[in-house]
Amino acid sequence: MRLRWLLAAFLFLTGCTPDRGNTLIIGSKNFTEQVVLSELLAQHLENRTGLRVQRRFYLGGTYICHQSMLAGRIDLYPEYTGTALTAILKDRPQGGPRGVYERVRDEYARQFNLAVAEPLGFNNTFAIVIRGEDARRLNLRTISDVARYAPQWRAGFGYEFMERPDGFEGLARTYSLTFGSPPRIMDLGLLYRALLEGQVDLVAGNSTDGLIAARDLTILEDDKGYFPPYEAVPIVRAETLERHPAVRAALEELAGAISDEEMRRMNYAVDGEHRDVKDVAREFLQKKGLTTSAGNRSNSAGTSSTRRG
Amino acid sequence: MSPLEFFFKNRTEILTLTGEHVWLVGVSMLLAAAVGLPLGMLLTRWPVGRRPILGAANVIQTVPSLALFGFLLPMPWLGARADRLAITALTLYALLPIIRNTYAGITGVDPAVREAARGMGMTDRQLLFHVELPLAWGVILAGVRVATVISVGIATIAAAIGAGGLGEFIFRGLAMVNNQLILAGAIPAALLALAADFVLGRLEGRLRVRA
Amino acid sequence: MTPDAPVIEFRAVSFELPSGPPLLSGVNLGIHRGETLVLLGRSGSGKTTALKLINRLLEPTAGSVQVEGRATQEWDPIVLRRRIGYVIQEVGLFPHFSVERNVGLVPWLERRPAAQVRARVRKLLELVGLDPDGFAARYPHQLSGGQRQRVGVARALAADPPLLLMDEPFGALDPITRVEMQREFRALQERLRKTVVFVTHDLSEALRLATRIALLEAGRLAGVYSPAEFLAAAEPAAAAYVAAFRPETNASQP
Repeated sequence: MRLRWLLAAFLFLTGCTPDRGNTLIIGSKNFTEQVVLSELLAQHLENRTGLRVQRRFYLGGTYICHQSMLAGRIDLYPEYTGTALTAILKDRPQGGPRGVYERVRDEYARQFNLAVAEPLGFNNTFAIVIRGEDARRLNLRTISDVARYAPQWRAGFGYEFMERPDGFEGLARTYSLTFGSPPRIMDLGLLYRALLEGQVDLVAGNSTDGLIAARDLTILEDDKGYFPPYEAVPIVRAETLERHPAVRAALEELAGAISDEEMRRMNYAVDGEHRDVKDVAREFLQKKGLTTSAGNRSNSAGTSSTRRG
Repeated sequence: MSPLEFFFKNRTEILTLTGEHVWLVGVSMLLAAAVGLPLGMLLTRWPVGRRPILGAANVIQTVPSLALFGFLLPMPWLGARADRLAITALTLYALLPIIRNTYAGITGVDPAVREAARGMGMTDRQLLFHVELPLAWGVILAGVRVATVISVGIATIAAAIGAGGLGEFIFRGLAMVNNQLILAGAIPAALLALAADFVLGRLEGRLRVRA
Repeated sequence: MTPDAPVIEFRAVSFELPSGPPLLSGVNLGIHRGETLVLLGRSGSGKTTALKLINRLLEPTAGSVQVEGRATQEWDPIVLRRRIGYVIQEVGLFPHFSVERNVGLVPWLERRPAAQVRARVRKLLELVGLDPDGFAARYPHQLSGGQRQRVGVARALAADPPLLLMDEPFGALDPITRVEMQREFRALQERLRKTVVFVTHDLSEALRLATRIALLEAGRLAGVYSPAEFLAAAEPAAAAYVAAFRPETNASQP
């Protein structure tokens, strides 16, 4: 009777997903650097493996990207070793950048069946940023220097920095930072504007933020080594690597390919100069000689398999 | 690009997310029915339990959906996977309409019918399954319909905690300030709700018994 | 049980709700096989309560009601009720069952073979004056009030129970249909010779149908009479009844 027909239709609809056979899905978090990295990865994989790559940018924060990986809704996204260690694995950083990377790689494989590729080359750690003029006037070079002025200063931080265990809480404790009033919490995109306009005196940005180079802003040195390393790494589902072995070779090519300065410049190109992310990513790949001469060519899949070994 | 072109170009992704959405709603509705129907039936035989159980379901309904997602997040097994969490929350939300309508449907059966049935020697179980339930199906299904439509709506919020579904388009569209992306999520979600309402409404009409 | 012992016996039966006055007090009554005993009384006199004590829809708070020699409390209520046909004023047909399924309810509950049930249903529909071919497949909402009650009676008789309880079965019908149903019921009763307990507040109906009339007044049994005795009774409650119905009683045929 009718009920059986409805049930069949329902099962059909939920069970049948569009064929993912030759498509990779790349996700990204909610900010520019993530989108640039993901676009870069997407183009590189398209060039090298001939697979179709679907972009799902602005998925949200770390949690949502991680959940999407676990659920198999995305195949790949760029993460940072420090974030993976503290926010996902809930572990404490130790052993320097290499130690942190290896621990993340091993635990992700063991707990989540996710592969962590070699770092892309830059360390996007938290940057405690102040206005250039204040740095010069008060002769401030390190975060310890600033502790003295904190009670008279206002700080501005993003949601994640406030909530994360490797964020404000630990920083305040390590450097004995007590601000006169509670820090203002605002969207990442508005932090620098607030700093430049004087609404806040100190922000926690990222060391690869484009604006730092483009404006008169100073990064304070983390003299007590509080912030863990945040090396950018592509995280891939093990299943995806099995299905598309060419992806592994392609990712190996990108190991160490991006320096801090290069990332900063790409970020500024998008945020400051308002250039298209696609163009910025493509230019970078061309500069590094990582594209085939005519852009996307489907026989590049053959090329990558002979390069493996 | 016009909205229609946008929809067509991204049809695979839209279909995938719609499928996820249907999955979230479908599983939670099945669970809610599996729990709510027996509970509703139980309440007709155990009037003492009416106040606490209906009361609890009522309280759950008044908690804002996003808050409920947040409450469940730290739970050990539930909170580990976003889709588990979302399905749990959606199931809890669907409980009240289902329990309440099951109870109302059964108690709303003509008392004369009930008296005749008992007087003729039907056992309580026979009364429930052969008389009260068949006569209550229309009302019960109305409860399921209401719960389903509510679920389709709340499932869009599930994307905020990473459970996927059409809400993902909406949140991404908001972050990127891209109206087409927002519509790509909002319109299919609305259509899903309407479709569910229509289909279940038809089913309800066919099952309603003329007195 | 000796052949002339009462089939149903009320022994000092009282019934009261936790809150409020007793609905029945100290009723002693014996009902004999094959008779049509009418429980007559005003609203609130306790007649429906008395009826419901027989098929254990209610249980006495004092005394006991014996059916076929055993107290109702000792019977399995399901077994008891399947031996007793029950007809109520609102009829209570299942709206989702066809007439055939409604009538065949008790045999179906007793798991009789389907063919047997169908044959029995046909016979009963004819018995109550409904053409089986026309009516078996219809649904209650398609029937008139009188037709519904005929189905109700057929249903009560389906398992051939020795006892029949009827609670103002014709009360909701128009006067012409009512008289028609009373006449047909009497004919039926003469054929089937069931033991019937019939509740009504209508004296003319009582006089038409009863072998004996038990008058209930405010929860007490005021007296038991044959129809003729009732008309001549000196008991004030009975006399009041007769006086109230005088215009009708003159015109009624016993």
